[in-house]
Amino acid sequence: MKRNTLYLAAAAAAVLAAALPAFLGAYPLNVARSVMTYMALAVSWDMLLRSGQISFGIAGLFGLGSYASALLVLRAGMDPAMSLVFATLFTGALAFTIGFAVLRLRAMYFSITTLALAEIFRIVLHNLHDFSGGPEGVVLPGVIFGGDTRALYWLCLGGLAITLGVSWYFEKSKLHLALTAIRNDETSARSSGVDIFRYLLIAFTITSTLQGMMGAIQVQSYGFTTPETAFDANFTLLPLAMALLGGIHSTLGPMAGAVLLGIASEWLKLKIPYGHLVVYGIIIVLVILLMPRGLVGLARKRRTGRGA
Amino acid sequence: MKRTFVALALIAAAAMAFGQGTIKIGATWPLADITGKQGSMAAQQAVDEINKAGGVLGRQLELIVIDDELKADKGAAAIEKLVTVDNVDLIIGGMSSGVALGQVPAMKKYGKVVVATGAASSTVEAALGADADWYFHLHPWDYNQGASYAQGWDEIQKKYPNVKIKKIFLAYEEGAFGKASFDQTKILFGAEGRYQIDGAPFKSAALGGGDYGSVLEAAKMYKPDLFLWAGYDADALPMLEQAKAMKFSPGIYLGAPPGWPVGFGTSRLSENVMLYGMWAPSINEVSPVSKKFYDGFVAKYKAEPATYFAPLSYSAVYIVADAIKRAGSTDTAALIKALKETKYESPLGQTVTFTPAKIIKNQGIKNQKILQWQRGRQEVIWPFESATAKPVYPFPKW
Amino acid sequence: MANKRNWTVALALGAAVIGILVWRPTVLIYGLQAAGIYASIAIPMGLILGIVHIVNLAHGEFMMAASYLTYMVCRATGMDPFLALVPVAAVTAAFGFGIYKLTIRQALKAPELNQLILTFGLAILLTQAANLAFTSQTRKISFDYVSASVDIGELSFGIYNFVFVAIAVAMVVGLRLFLTRTTTGKAALAVGQNPRGAAIVGIDVDRTYALVFSLASALVGMMGAVFITRSSIFPAVGSPFTMKSFCLIAMAGVGNIPGILASSVLLGVSENFLKAFRGTRGWADIVFFVLIITVILGRSIRGKKA
Repeated sequence: MKRNTLYLAAAAAAVLAAALPAFLGAYPLNVARSVMTYMALAVSWDMLLRSGQISFGIAGLFGLGSYASALLVLRAGMDPAMSLVFATLFTGALAFTIGFAVLRLRAMYFSITTLALAEIFRIVLHNLHDFSGGPEGVVLPGVIFGGDTRALYWLCLGGLAITLGVSWYFEKSKLHLALTAIRNDETSARSSGVDIFRYLLIAFTITSTLQGMMGAIQVQSYGFTTPETAFDANFTLLPLAMALLGGIHSTLGPMAGAVLLGIASEWLKLKIPYGHLVVYGIIIVLVILLMPRGLVGLARKRRTGRGA
Repeated sequence: MKRTFVALALIAAAAMAFGQGTIKIGATWPLADITGKQGSMAAQQAVDEINKAGGVLGRQLELIVIDDELKADKGAAAIEKLVTVDNVDLIIGGMSSGVALGQVPAMKKYGKVVVATGAASSTVEAALGADADWYFHLHPWDYNQGASYAQGWDEIQKKYPNVKIKKIFLAYEEGAFGKASFDQTKILFGAEGRYQIDGAPFKSAALGGGDYGSVLEAAKMYKPDLFLWAGYDADALPMLEQAKAMKFSPGIYLGAPPGWPVGFGTSRLSENVMLYGMWAPSINEVSPVSKKFYDGFVAKYKAEPATYFAPLSYSAVYIVADAIKRAGSTDTAALIKALKETKYESPLGQTVTFTPAKIIKNQGIKNQKILQWQRGRQEVIWPFESATAKPVYPFPKW
Repeated sequence: MANKRNWTVALALGAAVIGILVWRPTVLIYGLQAAGIYASIAIPMGLILGIVHIVNLAHGEFMMAASYLTYMVCRATGMDPFLALVPVAAVTAAFGFGIYKLTIRQALKAPELNQLILTFGLAILLTQAANLAFTSQTRKISFDYVSASVDIGELSFGIYNFVFVAIAVAMVVGLRLFLTRTTTGKAALAVGQNPRGAAIVGIDVDRTYALVFSLASALVGMMGAVFITRSSIFPAVGSPFTMKSFCLIAMAGVGNIPGILASSVLLGVSENFLKAFRGTRGWADIVFFVLIITVILGRSIRGKKA
C-alpha cells in the first residue's frame, strides 16, 4: 500500500515536471535546466558514493562528454542528437578502461586520482589546438533543436529522468546490497563472496556514463564550450555540496539539495547583486553544521521522532 | 492647503509620466569582478545623469543589472530573465567572451538590440553571424586590437626615428585571452616579414601560476626590441621584479592586461613600462567628456575607475539614450536605424561610430591606445591626437 | 638484488641532475624555487590532514586572508612582511582556533564528507568576503630585495625565491622536532595515528586537534605574510594552492611531511624541465597530475605485492 502511494507520487511528479513548459516562461525553464543538470550530477555522484568511493572527477567526465559530443559534430559531421548517444557511450567506454586502474585505490587516493584525471583531460584538450580548438574552445554551428526553450528543457529532463531511473534501480536491485556491503566492511563483503571489483566497475562505469551524458546535453544546449567551461571545478564541488546538504546515500537527498542550492543561488543573486556569494557560503556552512545528515536526514529524524 | 494640492498634482503628474513607463535597459556583467562591478556602477552613473537632465523622450531610464557570475549558463539565464520577465527595451553590458558565447543563442532568439561592452574574441563574432544587425559591438575584436597596435607602432617609428623595432617577443598567458593575443600578433605583425615574432605561454598568477622564470628566459635569449606580455593584473609587478632579477631589459617593455594592480604607479619599477589600453585618467586633460565622467564617478562612488570597462559602459548608456531620442521610440527597427547613425563623443578620447567589421555590421571602437607609465601616471603616447606625453625610449637598463 | 636496483636508480638520478645542471641550469634553479613554494604551502595542510584527518578545502583561503592582513599591516605601518609575519601568525593561530571551535569540531562527529563540504563553504565565504572588502583588483607592494640576483657568466637569475626553500626545510625540521621531541608533539602524533587509543591513554584529543589546527593556521598565516613579497594578492589567489597541496600530500602519503618536500622538488623540477622547451611548454601542467597518478598507482601495486 505504502509502496503504491510512493509510485503514484513519483509518477505525478514526473508528469508535472514534463508539463512545466506549459505554465512557465523561458527564464524559469532556463533556471530549471541548470538545477536539473546539477541534480543529475549530484545523484550520479551519490550512486558511486553508496559503495564508499568518493569521486572528485565529476567535472572531468562531464567535460569529456561535452567535448566528445561537440567534436563529433564538428569534426565527424555527426547529427547533434546522434552525437549525444555516441558521446555518452564514449565516456562510458573510457571510464570502463580507467576503472581497471583506479578502482584498486581507496579513500583519499581514489579521490585524488579522479581529480588528477579530470585535470589531465582538461590540459589535453587545452593543448590540442587544431583538434579541440585549444583554450578558445569550440563553437557549434547551432544549438540543438534550433534553441527551442521547451525542447531544451525536455532534453535536460530526459537526461535527469534516465539518471534518476538508474539510481532508483541501484537502490532496489541486488547492486544496492553489494555496494552497501562494500561500503560498510570490504573485508567481510569479500569473504562472503561479493566480487568487489566487478561491482565497483559497474557502478563507476555507469555513473561516469551518466555524467558524460549530462555534459553532452549541456554542450548541445549552449552551442559552444571551452576547457574552462566544460571542466569547471564547480561541476565537481557543487554536486558534492548538494548531495551532502540534501542527504547522501539516497536518490531523494541529492535531489533536494540541488533544488535548495540551485534556487538559492539564483534567488540570492537577484536580491543581492553585489556579494550574494557570501550568503551562499554562509548557507552551506550553516546547513552542514545544523543538519549534519542533510535535509532528508532531518525529515527522517522528525518522522521517527513523532512516531516514537 | 493650496500647497498640498500642488504637491498632490505634481505627484499625480509624476505618476502619469510613470504610467507611461520607464525605458528599461537590461544589462549583464560579472559583478564580483572589478571590470563588471565598476562597469555597472558607471552605467548607473550615466543613467542618473540622464534622468536628472529630464530623461529621454520625457521618460526616465531604468537600469536592471543581473550578475552573469562569469558563467555561460548564468549569463544566458540572465538574458532570458531580462527579456521575458523584466521586459527590457534593449540590452547592454558584457565582459567575458565565454559568457557572451553562452548568451548569443538567447540573444538571437529575441533579436532585441544589444550594445555590447565586452567580448573581444572573434569566436563570438563567428557565432553571431552576418545577420545579427541588432548587435552593436562597442569593444574592439581581438583582430581590431592587433591591427591597431601594428598601425600604432608604424606611426610611432615614423614620428620618432630613434624608436626601432624589428624583433617582437610575446609572453602570453596560456588561456583564451593570451592565446588569441598571440595568434593576432603573429598574423598582423608577421605579415610581409616586417617584424620577426616569437612567443611563449605562461600560466598567469590569476589562475594559480606566477612563475615567469622560464618564459622570461626564452624572451631574453630571443633579444627582442619589443617585449610584450598579455596576462592579468596579478602578473604585472611579479613579472617586472623577475625581469629585473634576470637583468632582462628590452628596448620596450609593454604589458597588455585588462587592468592594472592597485597603486602600480607607486612602484619604482613601473617607470617607463608601456601598455595597451583604451582609457586612462590622463585622458581627462584632452577630453572634457572624460573629465565629466571621471569627476562624476569619483564623487558618486569615492573610488577611481580602475579599468576601461567603466568609461565604456558609461558610453554604452549615453549611446543608447541618444539613439532612442533620435528614433523617437524604443521600437527595435527604429532603434537599429538610429544606432547605426551614432556619433558619440566618448570619454575614451574618441568619437564612436558604427562601421562593419569582418562579419558583423555594427562595430564601434576599432582602435586601442598605446600608453606609457611616466612618474606614476598612464600617459597616452598614441594615437597622437589624444596623446598626453611623448614616449620615453628605450626602457631603462636595470 | 633490491639494493642493487636502488643503486642503479640513485646513479641514474644523479646523472640526470648533473646533465640538466650543465645543459640547462635554470631548470634546477626555477624548479627548486617552485618546489619551495609548493612545499611550504602544502606542509601545514599535510599536518592537519595527518593528525586531525580533515581535508581543509579552505586552506588556500586561510593563506589569502593572512596575505590581506599582512598587506594592510605593511601599508599602515611600513613594516616589512618578514617582521609582520609574527603578529600575523599570532592572529591566524587565533583565527584557526576560533574556526576549529566554532565549526570543525561540530563537524568531526558527523560523516567525514561533511568536513569537506564545511571547509568548501568556508572557502567560498572567505573568498567572497575578501572580494566585497577589497574588490578583485590585485594588490602588491614591491620590495627591492625581491629582485636580488646572481650572475654566473652569461646567466643572471633571481635568488630571492630560494627563501621559500629555506622556509620549507625549516618547517620540515621544526615539525619533526616538535612531533618527536616534545610531549605535546608526541601526543599529537599518537592522536593522529589512533585517536581512540590516544584517548584511552589519557590524551585530550579535542585539545590536541585544536592545538594542531591552530599551529597549522599559524604556519599558513606566516606563509601568507611572506607570500605577498613574491605574488600579487586578490581574493582567489589561494584556491589553486589548495588543490596543488592536496595532490602533493597524496603523492607523499598521508602523514609523511618530509615526503611533501620531496614530491614538491620532483614536481617543480619536472615542470620546469618541460617549460624549457618550445614543444613541451604548454604541457608543463600535465606532468603534475601524471606523476601523482603514477606514484599513487605504483604504490598501490607495490603494496599489493608486499
